[in-house]
Amino acid sequence: MLEVANLSAGYGQIEVLHGLSFQVPKGKVVTLIGSNGAGKTTTMRALSGMIQPRAGSIRLAGREISGLDSHDVARAGLAHSPEGRRVFPTLSVEDNLTLGAFPRLTGSRPKGDVSADRERAYALFPRLKERRLQLAGTLSGGEQQMLAMGRALMLRPDILLLDEPSMGLAPKLVEEVFRIIRQLKEEQVTMLLVEQFAMAALGVADYAYVLENGRIRFQGPAARLKSDPAVRAAYLGGDH
Amino acid sequence: MTIFLQLVASGVAVGMIYAAIAFGYQLTFATSKTLNFGQGEALALGALFGLTLAPFTGYWLMIPLVLVFGFALGAVVERLGVRPAVKIKSEYGWIMATIALGIIFRNLAENIWGRDDLKFPSPLPEEALQLGGIRMLPMELLIIAGALLMMLAVEIFNRKSIWGKAVIATSNDIDAAGLMGINTKRVITLSYSISAMTAAFAGVLVAPVTLTGATMGAVLALKAFAVAIIGGLESGLGVIVGGLILGIAETLTGFYISTGYKDVPGLILLLVVLSIRPVGLFGKAVIKKV
Ligand SMILES: Nc1ncnc2c1ncn2[C@@H]1O[C@H](COP(=O)(O)OP(=O)(O)OP(=O)(O)O)[C@@H](O)[C@H]1O
Ligand SMILES: [Mg+2]
Repeated sequence: MLEVANLSAGYGQIEVLHGLSFQVPKGKVVTLIGSNGAGKTTTMRALSGMIQPRAGSIRLAGREISGLDSHDVARAGLAHSPEGRRVFPTLSVEDNLTLGAFPRLTGSRPKGDVSADRERAYALFPRLKERRLQLAGTLSGGEQQMLAMGRALMLRPDILLLDEPSMGLAPKLVEEVFRIIRQLKEEQVTMLLVEQFAMAALGVADYAYVLENGRIRFQGPAARLKSDPAVRAAYLGGDH
Repeated sequence: MTIFLQLVASGVAVGMIYAAIAFGYQLTFATSKTLNFGQGEALALGALFGLTLAPFTGYWLMIPLVLVFGFALGAVVERLGVRPAVKIKSEYGWIMATIALGIIFRNLAENIWGRDDLKFPSPLPEEALQLGGIRMLPMELLIIAGALLMMLAVEIFNRKSIWGKAVIATSNDIDAAGLMGINTKRVITLSYSISAMTAAFAGVLVAPVTLTGATMGAVLALKAFAVAIIGGLESGLGVIVGGLILGIAETLTGFYISTGYKDVPGLILLLVVLSIRPVGLFGKAVIKKV
């Protein structure tokens, strides 16, 4: 589904990613792990066109998407739930969800049944349904995270990028987020997941890449990396 | 007391014009952290264009045509003036560019319509109405209603339509809006269009009670700028409150001091605004990270 080859990207003069190559096959969950500052968020941003890659290729369902603006990447079928949630604070929960389907509502993706998908998002995140008319800025952190995920799903994406969906959440909500990721996986949603809880991410993912200073250091089936002593020592130390 | 109420009532009409122009500043500032310093010229061009059309179409049918004209004018300003400046990451380039375009438009207007002020025929009777001891021109009532209606229409568009929601999303978080598949450049163009459309509409509202000419908007736009800063550049009803306060202050000054001084409150307001926040008035323009 997503094929990345020799991707380099950065900010201003600084190059952060130095030639990454990885794949996310259709229907699979792939996780990127790595310590703070390794370049996980930068990778996500380069994929979704929030920053323009300097080199390399990004192919989504066979189509080259590197160099496109973020709105064109979204229209091509990539949904990115960004680090820090980034919901629209002065719009209602319902409007936030609706905007997730913007390309469908404005004719650049097949329309389908947007209101049915909104109901599906509410079924997935019942807390959002109770708060559908509340402004997103007044939601709790956990609720905002659910909204960010629900909003990204409204695209009916070919691939979903989740950047630290459990950031700043209480343990109970972290579990809830992983339960939902597992449920999406069962529904065959293709996902690229970045998580601070590397153990949990490896638990749900099929395949994993370990990022270090903008390069891929290890890769392999998630279950194998999870039990690899070198990986455990370096990246999964403080985790449970 | 009646005189005072009378002055307040007259001030409300002027104030709504300031509010309408200030509202236009808010629209573009919200999406792009920039604004059109040629709003006064958009207002004047709207009025002059309307003046030319009115003999053929009548006042009421002329209005939608002026709205379309203003809409197109705003897009031109954004594409020619603002976008290139923001693109080369010139933080204040858009200020010079919109001022320059305003001057060009003013010269253009002077060439087409001449330098003399013209009389805009009033679409409503010119005798004042008696409303509980207060006299108001029908045209003043139309200004108040028209300005309110216009702001209401834009609010409804923003809240209800998908493109309006895209405008709000872009104002909230431009990068996240891009991730939703919203072409935020187009949204910014749209906000410039709506902004100039409101100014052009304000032009045809105010023209029958003032004189019409290429420079008619300059002072209005300057005072409305002060109103926008005081009332809040981000959004909200502050501009209506600010506009009304200024409008009323002006009619009171005009009556109790001298009509010659009626522009003074607005200009004092502007000076106060500029001395309180001389730099960093605008935050940062939307300059896309690379
Ligand atoms: N907007 C930016 N401008 C300049 N440098 C940045 C920017 N964002 C990130 N960086 C730098 O890029 C590098 C990689 O950051 P990135 O956010 O991709 O890391 P990360 O792996 O997501 O880390 P974390 O686990 O803390 O979220 C860091 O050195 C960071 O300082
Ligand atoms: Mg990160």
